[in-house]
Amino acid sequence: MLTGGEAQHRQPRLTEPIILDATATPRVLTILSYVLEKLVSRNDRLSDGGGSAGNILTAFHGVRSPAISLEKYLERIYKYTNCSPACFVVGFVYIDRLVHKYPDSLVVSLNVHRLVVTSVMVASKILDDVHYNNAFYARVGGVSNAELNRLEIELLFLLDFGVCVSSRVFESYCQHLENQSPPPITLISVDDVTDISVEDTHNSSPPQLRA
Amino acid sequence: MAIAAPEQLNVSELPAWGSRSVDCFEKLEQIGEGTYGQVYMAKEIDTGEIVALKKIRMDNEREGFPITAIREIKILKKLHHENVIKLKEIVTSTGPEKDEQPAPDGNKYRGGIYMVFEYMDHDLTGLADRPGMRFSVPQIKCYMRQLLTGLHYCHVNQVLHRDIKGSNLLIDNEGNLKLADFGLARSFSSDHNANLTNRVITLWYRPPELLLGTTKYGPAVDMWSVGCIFAELLNGKPIFPGKDEAEQIHKIYDICGSATEEIWPGVSKLPWYNNFKPTRMVKRRLREHFRHFDRHALDLLDRMLILDPSHRIAAKDALDAEYFWTDPLPCDPKSLPKYEASHEFQTKKKRQQQRQLDENAKRQKLQHQQQQHSRVPPAQQMRPGPNAPAQPQAAGHHYGNKPRGPSGGPGRYPAAAAAAGNPSGSYNNPNRGQGAAAGYGSAPYPPQGRAPPYGSSGLPGAGPRGGPNYPHGGPPYGSSGGGRGSNVVPGNRNQQYWQ
Repeated sequence: MLTGGEAQHRQPRLTEPIILDATATPRVLTILSYVLEKLVSRNDRLSDGGGSAGNILTAFHGVRSPAISLEKYLERIYKYTNCSPACFVVGFVYIDRLVHKYPDSLVVSLNVHRLVVTSVMVASKILDDVHYNNAFYARVGGVSNAELNRLEIELLFLLDFGVCVSSRVFESYCQHLENQSPPPITLISVDDVTDISVEDTHNSSPPQLRA
Repeated sequence: MAIAAPEQLNVSELPAWGSRSVDCFEKLEQIGEGTYGQVYMAKEIDTGEIVALKKIRMDNEREGFPITAIREIKILKKLHHENVIKLKEIVTSTGPEKDEQPAPDGNKYRGGIYMVFEYMDHDLTGLADRPGMRFSVPQIKCYMRQLLTGLHYCHVNQVLHRDIKGSNLLIDNEGNLKLADFGLARSFSSDHNANLTNRVITLWYRPPELLLGTTKYGPAVDMWSVGCIFAELLNGKPIFPGKDEAEQIHKIYDICGSATEEIWPGVSKLPWYNNFKPTRMVKRRLREHFRHFDRHALDLLDRMLILDPSHRIAAKDALDAEYFWTDPLPCDPKSLPKYEASHEFQTKKKRQQQRQLDENAKRQKLQHQQQQHSRVPPAQQMRPGPNAPAQPQAAGHHYGNKPRGPSGGPGRYPAAAAAAGNPSGSYNNPNRGQGAAAGYGSAPYPPQGRAPPYGSSGLPGAGPRGGPNYPHGGPPYGSSGGGRGSNVVPGNRNQQYWQ
């Protein structure tokens, strides 16, 4: 149990890399992608892969699911933006708050990437005194700057600007993530592609929002 | 997704922020120009209540929603105290307003997002700058006690304000003082282990540990600023008006003594200690320098302006200081005189107009004299002559406050500074196309008018690939544009109100 300050120092924290190496991936990425993948595959089955009518997360929907796996996508965000690992936990808190607030809205393969990049970006704005701007996150996340800005505002309003995460809540989410059965540890290398796209087409035109 | 924090079950909180339109308010007039948007005095149509609407500027596409606004909203959402400004709600405008481009992409928030605050009549700087203004001792005690109470509340809630200065202390006509502008504020953990940016707090109020580059700090940074404000209230003018970081730290050393390992263990390990190494060792002479202050005031100030942050007095202990418990006692806020509302934004604009008229007049006068040998006394001939009294129109904004133009009577500050009154805003607000510190162009104002720069030295710049953002704007110092220019910290005492 992560109960107090001292305990945290003794056992490796979720947000620390598995290997004590600055370039290694923090465990939270692996666990988070595992948790989200599980959620998405369940929800995809429930919703026939699409966003149901009344899904409040429509703005985050693409027409097709992006080809890049969630795990690679999270690694990519971590590698290029150098945000603190805690941002991924807090990003997860935001997504969790959304699905609790709007139970009819499902996180599915069509929207999970955009939800993740937007949540992590907002978390980084909140947590990290030094962080990259939206334009940079847009490039890393493979969406247009304008779309990401729109998604950011969408997220902030959906959350009712409830972007505070107390240390108690933070720790409880860490604990929750820890309790998920960890996926097999694989040695991960982040692809050195510099441009990816989670947009529906590979040209640079802004993606179409579903009505 | 299995777990829900207890708070999340509460979905009945009403009204949802952002659900109401700005059309619920009638804008009365602009009262401020902040770093991330204009501020309007407005009336809620249903209730008639007067509020302040702070528009969030969304025009920097690369930055998205301004971080200062997110921080301010999230922090003010959790702070509820009589000495902290109240954020009432967020409203949006769906349609394009008259000052907007229509939204081509159907973005429903494109029209604008506004923060709705309770309305306050003054800020401390604006009030103190009023011609002939002298605060009484009970009044200063009353303001200081409210400031410390509000700040103590923030610190207990683990929020650092990080931009305490007179212009961020709003005062209403009931004598209540409230902390405002939480755009630089952030939560801190009590272990002080996080790395925080040292590029915060307006230069004149910035503590030595930040000037020396520390990235691990806590509530003591705010207490230094409080000390500066306290001394300024007693002294009548800013005590450390440095024009850049080097001058700032040396002004501090000059009064508080040079920073040495003896008085501040660990100081020599701070990143920029050697950059600002004192050329000669100066002994602390704060008590001599401010010997005209009363004893209890001096005792308290002496514990606020301590170089070593670990020995600086905390807000809670400051509230227990003898100063607040000896005669004359702090007065009841309600007993304070009511002042006519004044907003620096407006008075500044009027002064600017007046000065423009004066300059034109001077120029015309010269030409005129050359041409016509001045048959008529210039002051009468030129409408707003340089010697003419302040123009009536300069007086007339409709709170009816007094003109504060150049000829507006004796100032609290030495003539030049008071009259100069920071005509156009900040020294290094890139939006105004002004350079750093020196930059009033042709205007003959002293370098330290009324606007403490956030700093203008070319300190190490941003990181790779265009650089990560610092909390108050792209290139953290100076005005080199680019990046987050429009979010550059409120560098300006007078421009405030709700930056």
